[in-house]
Amino acid sequence: MNCEKEIVSLIHKYLDEEITDSERKQLTVHLKNCENCRTHMNELKKSIAFIQSSSHIEAPPNFTSLVMNSLPQQKKSVNWKR
Amino acid sequence: MDTLVERIIKDVKKGDQHAFAELVELYKDKVYQISYRMVGNVHEAQDIAQEAFLRAYMNIDSYDTNRKFSTWLFRIVTNLSIDRLRKKKPDFYLDQEVGGTEGLTLSSQIAAADELPEDIIITHELQDWIQGEILKLPTKYRSAIILKYIEDLSLKEISEILDLPIATVKTRIHRGREALRKRLSNI
Repeated sequence: MNCEKEIVSLIHKYLDEEITDSERKQLTVHLKNCENCRTHMNELKKSIAFIQSSSHIEAPPNFTSLVMNSLPQQKKSVNWKR
Repeated sequence: MDTLVERIIKDVKKGDQHAFAELVELYKDKVYQISYRMVGNVHEAQDIAQEAFLRAYMNIDSYDTNRKFSTWLFRIVTNLSIDRLRKKKPDFYLDQEVGGTEGLTLSSQIAAADELPEDIIITHELQDWIQGEILKLPTKYRSAIILKYIEDLSLKEISEILDLPIATVKTRIHRGREALRKRLSNI
């Protein structure tokens, strides 16, 4: 489609929250009339929501002690200062 | 910078290991999350995350306190993850399947206790699916998408972590989004 490239770049600007007011108007008008671009935008929004629905992951329970055990020997000067 | 983090880092720079444990506690989940999302395997993710903290400790003197500590730390773990992926590229597809199986153990770790069994199964499947799609992204889009949509970082922070101009980060996020869209719309 002819409109594709320019409009798709506007859609990405919109998704990055970097669209200007006049570009937003242009995009809104276009989306009203073009089903292809509307679908494209919705699919991109769904892809983002899909990735964002990933669960937050926590490090394994003993992680900090594993890291601390892997560190080189503590400097002596700090040991006797404590 | 955050005054708590600033204080802790001052102590670490003086050679106080106990202070470093506080830093690990503060950032371990985010660091582990980056490595896990990048490599998709719990054992490798843990290994990479541990290595990232060890390197941070060893190189703490080269950390510029005028900059954000998390940016510096996330850069270390992202680079280690990319290095790991580069090394194992030849058997990438084989690893992907292993990654899928590993996801199950991971999802059981994250499932909330108050969920009904059917909900837990659905959550597992969805989470495995999401991680599978992340792993199908080319590495350079994957890192940008993870930092943007999972770690929720700004384009500026991502550009510092990846050491790329903001315009390049944008392009990678755009292409990553398009790659996901194409796969998801075919289902």
